[in-house]
Amino acid sequence: MPGSTAGPRLYKIVVSCGTAIATSTHVSIRVKEMLEERGIKVHTIQCRVTEVPHLAPDADLVISTAQVPYDISVPVVDGIPFLTGIGVKEVIDRIEQILRIR
Amino acid sequence: METIKAIFDFLTGLGSPVMLPIIIFVLGLILGMNAGRAFIAAVTVGVGFIGLGLVIGLLFTALGPATEAMMKATGLQLSALDVGWGVAAAIAFGTAVGSLVFIVALVVNIVMLVLKWTKTLNVDMWNYWHYAFTGSLVYLVTGNNLVLGLLAAAIHAAVALLIADWTAKDVQEFFKLPGVSIPQGWAITSVPIIKGLNWVVEKIPGLRDIHWDSESLQKRLGIVGQPIILGALLGLLFGVVAYGIRPEGATFGVILGKVLLLAVQMAAVMLLIPRIIAIFMEGLTPLSEAARAFMKARFAGREFFIGLDSAILIGHPITITAGILLIPITLLLAAILPGNTTLPAADLAATAFFVAMVPPLTRGNLFRSILYGTIIMAIVLYIASAFAPLLTQIAQDIGYAIPEGAVQITGLSGGNWIAWILTTISRLFAGG
Repeated sequence: MPGSTAGPRLYKIVVSCGTAIATSTHVSIRVKEMLEERGIKVHTIQCRVTEVPHLAPDADLVISTAQVPYDISVPVVDGIPFLTGIGVKEVIDRIEQILRIR
Repeated sequence: METIKAIFDFLTGLGSPVMLPIIIFVLGLILGMNAGRAFIAAVTVGVGFIGLGLVIGLLFTALGPATEAMMKATGLQLSALDVGWGVAAAIAFGTAVGSLVFIVALVVNIVMLVLKWTKTLNVDMWNYWHYAFTGSLVYLVTGNNLVLGLLAAAIHAAVALLIADWTAKDVQEFFKLPGVSIPQGWAITSVPIIKGLNWVVEKIPGLRDIHWDSESLQKRLGIVGQPIILGALLGLLFGVVAYGIRPEGATFGVILGKVLLLAVQMAAVMLLIPRIIAIFMEGLTPLSEAARAFMKARFAGREFFIGLDSAILIGHPITITAGILLIPITLLLAAILPGNTTLPAADLAATAFFVAMVPPLTRGNLFRSILYGTIIMAIVLYIASAFAPLLTQIAQDIGYAIPEGAVQITGLSGGNWIAWILTTISRLFAGG
């Protein structure tokens, strides 16, 4: 990977919601914090759902708080648990699992 | 009491970029955040405020003269520029009522949970701006009566919880979102309109049976949905209308230059406002987390709906499609509706929000989403027009540099009838 010298790999996550502002900011902050605790460094890009098809191909993962009505080549994870606080651990486990095998 | 008032007057005198962070900091501590985190959150919100001031400046440099030129060229009285939800929210949070709205809305929520009047725990703090908006308008028309302003905000917040409960089942089943409800301040005001229109349409044979398929439409409309493209296209459209219809001696080259510059400026506004709102959100996120943890600890064992932003509903294909089709519809409505003064602009990037509640309440009907959306936008345009002088006044009062002149500001996203009713009632009593 160009630009990555030593150290852990930097993963790229697209976080989408209806506006690219409100809920996606919330999710981005939480995901970054929680993955960092597990020793995974990520770079997040926020976008609107309609932009997912353009941005997803370069990313390792898409997390969305809104429904993604497109065919996407990378895994899409539901971001709602980060907002409700219900099932957060399960989702972050899944995200970690997906990133570790990529 | 005197001392409290003196302290409060001092705080509001400092201006919203200072006042709001102080409130956020104190509220953060009350909700159990550690001081360091609360401080960072508070200052971040203040920074978001300063940033919004900068973008509002850009918005006016770019769109103010174009709006005036457009009115001159077409004779349309569209003097109230739609500055969008980001700016409307900043203005709403910027008043004395706005800075206290976090406390008021949380207290309303706690009281209603204790009394079992609601099941919704509203953690969507950003959208408290809608309640702040209503409260700020009432505050202004009652001659800065803080109690009435806060009461209006509290009423809006309470109604939001009730309507969130009312629609929770439909939202949960349609979007497969267990445990979620939508108390977003604008979305809830669309619910009675949608239910009313449903009642009417169900009575009309033919109309009630129409169902459109959205897939083919949606694929073609994808690119327009991007704010930067939408901004550039709108800038081109506004530019051509403003400077192209009556050239008044200007050469083609000069006109082209103006039109293209406006296109880029409008694209910049559409991209930059949301980016700055994101800073604001960054500050509010830890607070919203703390509120949720605080409430959960105190209402353990109760059945809850977590109240979230209607942004989570925007991804539905019908909503995306209807939202994009509503952009030209809204522009057309603005031009033909008699008495409308709102020039739709920044909130055209958010048209999907105005129909977010239609699919769950019509079992996914695209035709109705467009039909109801058109009626809703007409209502929104009239309310936004009515609010323009007030919102312009509030923006000036809290220190945004709005140039004197024919152009006023408003926001489609502020076009909710709860604010309109409460403002109208307050006006009657205040005699203003």
